[in-house]
Amino acid sequence: MQLTFDADVESFRAEFAAFLDANLPTEAETTERAYSSAHVPDWARRWQRLLFDSGWLLPGNTPEFGGRGASIVEQYVHLEELSRRRIYHSFNPQGLGIIAASLLSFGSEEQKRRWAVPILRAEITAALGMSEPGAGSDLASLRTRAVLDGDHFVVNGQKIWTSGAHDADVLLTFVRTDPDAPKHKGISVLLIPTDTPGVTRRPFGSVVDRDDVDFNEVFFDDVRVPAENLVGALNNGWHVANGSLGHERTLLWLSFAERLEDLARDFHPSDVLGADAYARLVMDLQALRLLGSAALARAARGEQDVAALSVLKLLGSEAVQKASEQAMESAGADALVHPVVAAPYAHLSLEAFSSGWFERYLRSFSGTIAGGTSEIQRTIIAERVLGLPRS
Amino acid sequence: MLFEFDSDQRLWQKTAREVLTRECPPELVRAVADDGADPAPLWRTYTGLGWTELVEPSEAVELAILLEELGRAVDPTPFLATTTWFAPLAPGVAEPGQTGSAVLDGVTAHRDRDGWVLHGSARHVLDGDRADWLAVVTEAGVFAIPGSEAVVTRLPVFDPTLHVASVTLPGVRVAADARLAVDPRPARDLALTGLALTIVGACRRILDLTLDHIRAREQFGAPIGSFQAVKHKAVDMHVALERARALAYFGALTIAADDPRRRRAASMAKAAAGECQSVVVRNGLQLFGGMGFTWENDLQFALKRAVAGELLLGGAAEHRALIAEEYRAAHI
Repeated sequence: MQLTFDADVESFRAEFAAFLDANLPTEAETTERAYSSAHVPDWARRWQRLLFDSGWLLPGNTPEFGGRGASIVEQYVHLEELSRRRIYHSFNPQGLGIIAASLLSFGSEEQKRRWAVPILRAEITAALGMSEPGAGSDLASLRTRAVLDGDHFVVNGQKIWTSGAHDADVLLTFVRTDPDAPKHKGISVLLIPTDTPGVTRRPFGSVVDRDDVDFNEVFFDDVRVPAENLVGALNNGWHVANGSLGHERTLLWLSFAERLEDLARDFHPSDVLGADAYARLVMDLQALRLLGSAALARAARGEQDVAALSVLKLLGSEAVQKASEQAMESAGADALVHPVVAAPYAHLSLEAFSSGWFERYLRSFSGTIAGGTSEIQRTIIAERVLGLPRS
Repeated sequence: MLFEFDSDQRLWQKTAREVLTRECPPELVRAVADDGADPAPLWRTYTGLGWTELVEPSEAVELAILLEELGRAVDPTPFLATTTWFAPLAPGVAEPGQTGSAVLDGVTAHRDRDGWVLHGSARHVLDGDRADWLAVVTEAGVFAIPGSEAVVTRLPVFDPTLHVASVTLPGVRVAADARLAVDPRPARDLALTGLALTIVGACRRILDLTLDHIRAREQFGAPIGSFQAVKHKAVDMHVALERARALAYFGALTIAADDPRRRRAASMAKAAAGECQSVVVRNGLQLFGGMGFTWENDLQFALKRAVAGELLLGGAAEHRALIAEEYRAAHI
């Protein structure tokens, strides 16, 4: 057990910190805002490209894919330094973290060149088509159908919750290619450009605000997709799905830790009960960092412990939710005003600056619903960590 | 920061668990509770293994590992008080094998021609009735006195193998040089962290017993552990335990490194352990159903140790108040 990182990790940190200090976009450059998770303003595209070209975008990757072969601990330190400055490395996070990552793991060399690199260099943006109206927690029951017709797949069906689809250039889409196989075994993955005839995207507002538009319904009506856009083997999509989400999992807890840091800074307890809630928040934050670093150490040894990561997601997302609610209560009637400034001005992440307390509380539910609900996480932990029998 | 045991620490944990499985089984704890069996031979075993000599601050993580295992076994000896209450206040005073505790408040020291006179009393001193030595904290400093010079009364407490005593010093004379050159403030951190680890260990035992029960107990033709409502309660126990365990070891680590966060870390350890026992005791007793509600079930020992730990040295709410105050002062 140690409280500090080794010297080589700290020198890696110092090198990246120096890069950031020299190159962070200025306030004057960053006036245009991102409107969705696949809308990337020009300045943010330039920023992401600079990171890519300097090997600082995803340091765990090889140089041709925007990295420098960094270890998992170094990747963690990299994210810590970004978070400390409240800057994202990409304004198309799912494009970077899930879609490009999946292509690098499962795609052909041609797919890496044609799709992954442009996503990583912010030349194009991507969205993830997984959930359907009838396939949420039970993702493997998805029904969007793809039928091979010559050298094309013909796709029919519907996706929902497809974040950023209306601004994205391409969708990584999970489709059913074998309706007769057991549900996990008949799924495949296709790259579908959003300008393909028959693709209809219908963005809709979130509970936060009618104008808060990131979610989409996406309809596929006889959409013809070149067979070369199949990612991974035919009917091997469930494997890709697990891998795709797995990319995010190892360090997913860090995003909850960041939100707790934000809350620890912005939440001003007004009474004894508020202070009590505040202390729980500080403890949750510390515990999450400790448990997260233990997971990091396991990952550094190459151990995959997916169920233990479920503990981090559950703990982190529920801690953020509790703390957001309590910070809102501490603000009292002032929290009614919307939008309201509830955080210090930060030109690189104006979203946090202008999100009111109720909005923060609402958004905490994306942590407890998306990426496997808290209820699903509890069932996973019960069965895979505690060894309880399946029902 | 990489927060996991190294291979030596894992081996040490395994060794401690094996020793305690053999030397401090549930039957022994029950014999102490039911028949008044004397835990002194067990204490001599610990002493013989060198466990009581783990008192250097740099060994805090190794001591922590031991304390968690002792909590899991519901240790009936005065190990916790000796190593985490007495030793940090009076290093080097006791011989190996001697027991100790601390009187943390309620005593005043007056100087006269011949030395010092200690007056006062404290309630709820852990193992105060079976301590060879007492470290007495006063405004004038810390004094080590033989336990025999105090008037001690063991209190009846709900945990049948825990010793808690009221201690009165009716004008105990000590020599002028009996005042120890020690700052009592850091000692508090180890006492809190040690108690937190004891609670965490006891909670681990409750969860283990509960998991065994819900895997085996069948109702409606299935193990009750296959029902989602039961599973989710068990998971909440597990998550609370992981959180508390992490913060307890963080406390030990900050002591070993003499990190400036050690005071807050100790309060976090104690508060998290208190929150953990609340969830683990409530869900554990609930999931055990009627079977957990009997004297015969060994669940009771760990349950009582966990709750008793919450009630000593300030509960979770008291420590949260301190954490909130200190964290904001340090970061704003």
